[in-house]
Amino acid sequence: MENRKLLTARVCRLDASIREEDILLAYGFDLLPDDSRTRCDGIAVLLKDRFLLYLDSKQILSLPLEQVKEFIFRQGIGCVFTEYKDKDDTEHLLCRADMQYLNTFAAVIKEMNRHLEGKGIHYEYEEELDRVCPKCGRPYRPGSSICDFCVDKKSYLKRLWEVAHPYRWLIYASVAMYFVIALFNLIPPYLNRVLVDDYIQADTMPELHMFVAVLLSMLGVQILSRILGMSRSILLILAGNKVVVALREMVFNKIQMLSIARIAKRTAGELITRVSRDTSELTGFITRDLGNIIEQGVTLIAVSIVLFAYDWRLALMIILPTPIVMYANRLFWSFMHKMFHKQWILESKSSTVLHDIFSGIRVVKAFGMEHRETKRFNAIIEDQRDTSIRNEKFFGVVNPILSFFMGVGEFFLLYYVGNKILGGEMTIGEMSQFSAYVSIIYGPLRWMSSIPRRLVRLMTSIVKIFDVIDEEPDIADKEEAIEHKIEGTITFDNVSFGYNNTTNVLKNISVEIHPGEMIGIVGKSGVGKSTLINLVMRMYDVNEGALKIDGIDIRDISQDSLRSQIGVVLQETFLFSGTIYDNIAYAKPDATRDEVITAAKIAGAHSFIMKLPNAYNTKVGERGHTLSGGERQRVAIARALLHNPRILILDEATASLDTETEKQIQDALQQLIADRTTLAIAHRLSTLRNATRILVLDKGELAEIGTHEELMRRKGIYFDLVMAQRQMSKMSPKNTEEGSQKEASANA
Amino acid sequence: MDEKKNEIKKALNEIVAIVYITKDNAVFEKKSDFLTLTLTAPNEEGTIETKTYDRIYLHRAFPFDNPFSYISVLDKDNKEIGMISDLSVLKEEDAEAIRSELNRKYYTPVVKSIISMKDKFGFSYWKVMTDEGELSFTLHDTFHSLMKVDGGTRIFITDIDGNRYEIPDIEALDRKSFKKIELFL
Repeated sequence: MENRKLLTARVCRLDASIREEDILLAYGFDLLPDDSRTRCDGIAVLLKDRFLLYLDSKQILSLPLEQVKEFIFRQGIGCVFTEYKDKDDTEHLLCRADMQYLNTFAAVIKEMNRHLEGKGIHYEYEEELDRVCPKCGRPYRPGSSICDFCVDKKSYLKRLWEVAHPYRWLIYASVAMYFVIALFNLIPPYLNRVLVDDYIQADTMPELHMFVAVLLSMLGVQILSRILGMSRSILLILAGNKVVVALREMVFNKIQMLSIARIAKRTAGELITRVSRDTSELTGFITRDLGNIIEQGVTLIAVSIVLFAYDWRLALMIILPTPIVMYANRLFWSFMHKMFHKQWILESKSSTVLHDIFSGIRVVKAFGMEHRETKRFNAIIEDQRDTSIRNEKFFGVVNPILSFFMGVGEFFLLYYVGNKILGGEMTIGEMSQFSAYVSIIYGPLRWMSSIPRRLVRLMTSIVKIFDVIDEEPDIADKEEAIEHKIEGTITFDNVSFGYNNTTNVLKNISVEIHPGEMIGIVGKSGVGKSTLINLVMRMYDVNEGALKIDGIDIRDISQDSLRSQIGVVLQETFLFSGTIYDNIAYAKPDATRDEVITAAKIAGAHSFIMKLPNAYNTKVGERGHTLSGGERQRVAIARALLHNPRILILDEATASLDTETEKQIQDALQQLIADRTTLAIAHRLSTLRNATRILVLDKGELAEIGTHEELMRRKGIYFDLVMAQRQMSKMSPKNTEEGSQKEASANA
Repeated sequence: MDEKKNEIKKALNEIVAIVYITKDNAVFEKKSDFLTLTLTAPNEEGTIETKTYDRIYLHRAFPFDNPFSYISVLDKDNKEIGMISDLSVLKEEDAEAIRSELNRKYYTPVVKSIISMKDKFGFSYWKVMTDEGELSFTLHDTFHSLMKVDGGTRIFITDIDGNRYEIPDIEALDRKSFKKIELFL
């Protein structure tokens, strides 16, 4: 994507009447505004008083800005549009581009509208967009600061070495062992020759004690080599695991530090893969492959030297065909890889289907679809069986043939050596030594053809690991961030926020919340209620405006200090695996048992906990005792209360409770919230009857604010919501407690 | 009691009734760059009413396997005005206008052949020949970026930016191209 300066220069060349300093904004587009699929080379330009469009170097539009009421960003499927609304509210299309331009369009249109409103243009967005690789100019892929094309592999290996540095002596020692072992491998064939030539085939009667000595040294070499092998493995496993644990810690700590925004970009599964699989790929390489490469490499070189020293023609005969052998081997395996990849995909497909069926077994049974699912599964495993048979057949036939051809060179060798023996130039012992060396040399050669693939896999893992480690936390504490004891004033000062730069979820929110207030937040789903509280917890930073706590910008308070004083109960409660006690005491591990029980009592959890056979020691979470939604919620409330926060946030916290329990908790909470600021989101408006004030959000804007009575008198959105809920309860069969319970469950 | 029943019935109607837009009840007109719609249809109270929508938006209900049937027509607040069950129920020129509007919103180049494909670090880099010339794109998690329709012969590809590409018939691809994509099917 060309940036503004380049485009500006181009426009100035095209049109001499425009001076560089007149151009406020310029951006490219690549699709014609009609329905054709043809690509084009277009430039859109914003001047102080006009908007211009150039298409293939010709100006096609000059639009005076006084005709424009608003520029509009619109997203199609696979393309984006710039539109504008004229003073009569008629909309017009300006230009279109493919999705590569999504962020540019979104950001530029925002700035163009700022210009229309008479505000200055912020060019900060360009920094975000200009995140391209300095080497090749390709943009980084989102969420990453690595260019996949220019990634410097050496620098990663160097950094890996830095991680491994503390354990370098372990690694040096094991590498040295590999050298020794490789050299040791050369000895047995030599001893074998001595045995054959000097004793078995000897013309004179050999001395028995020398014979025994040779045998014993063979035994000694074997034993020594095994012992060395064992200690080498132990050393390597030690080194490998230490490096990997160090890496794993780095990755894990980094992920914990990243903001929710960054983490949300990746799935939990992907993060788990980063922490565990990518790092164990590394362990595997260090403990297995690295050693092999060294050992085989040393063996290869050593054997080659011995062979050349002995008979260079013979050595050439052995070495020359090796590239062919390696190539054939590689070809074969890349083909097999393709075939087995297909099989692997089918296998993973069948396990997906199994997972689907078993986790949805209630649905399958309820709709009587067992037969259809059986058929579906059978079709897949039959497919899998056929592919598997085909692959194994192929492998079974081709592999022996290939091995035969790979071994064909040895026949020529035998012919050459045989001739020499017959001619008396070589002994049988020497022959056996040679064939031993040949098999030693062919081993690594065959194996080495797979090294490139292993290296690619390793690099993939390393790059992925460092990709996470290098990520800069986007919500970071300032250096001068302060510890602040929260009083409880929360000020939204013209706050705007969007999860991406295409749409603002919250627009120009301004409100001051006083210490000790209980604020209800209501509105339709998707208007930004949860977003609002996410900002208070500083899960995200505001895009515009400022969010202040006790008059201090939230970005100036250290995150630790902030979050340790905020308690949250979310709609979706999560209990960690552990006991109920552990879960309540999660945010305050040093709490006394009395405190935990008191918190549980306030949250209305004590009574149900005491009905469980193991009471507070009951295991919950995965594989533990299953609590109902309402019970989990109460545990979560207890957890938040024990934390004794200055600001309490309830996001639909009591939605899954029945009305009676909810009322109980409400009353208990009432005691507690007396001196702390509470923000509560609720769909069921009865939950908010204790609220001091109610914020009504509509389409991301603060539509109404006031007490229940004030808002009812206003007859606005809140009034409508209340009326709609009353009507609902009227339509229930009986207008009793039962009725509102139904309503409650319908709402939940 | 009857009143209550009526109320419920009315509420139900509001939720489930589909307003079909056909040549008999709708007039489309081009205004500036977009379409307006004048529709004669029952309103929420159930009485017949003629109403003009200044700008309409189209959204496909089955973008992959039925792109020119079941097209939802929305007003500026994203509320469904009605559905076009198939382009054939409209006047010829209206159908043409709708088709053009859809093609503009759903931008999907058609892949003719695959020039090269490189798989690296969990990303794949493609260079393809499409009906509008050579294009290159990048996929993350290739296997999941391909969507198979029509029993697996039609493929839709979504790249990392969100662009879409279509291969109308995978079996009609030349052998070399097919081999490059085969592994991900």
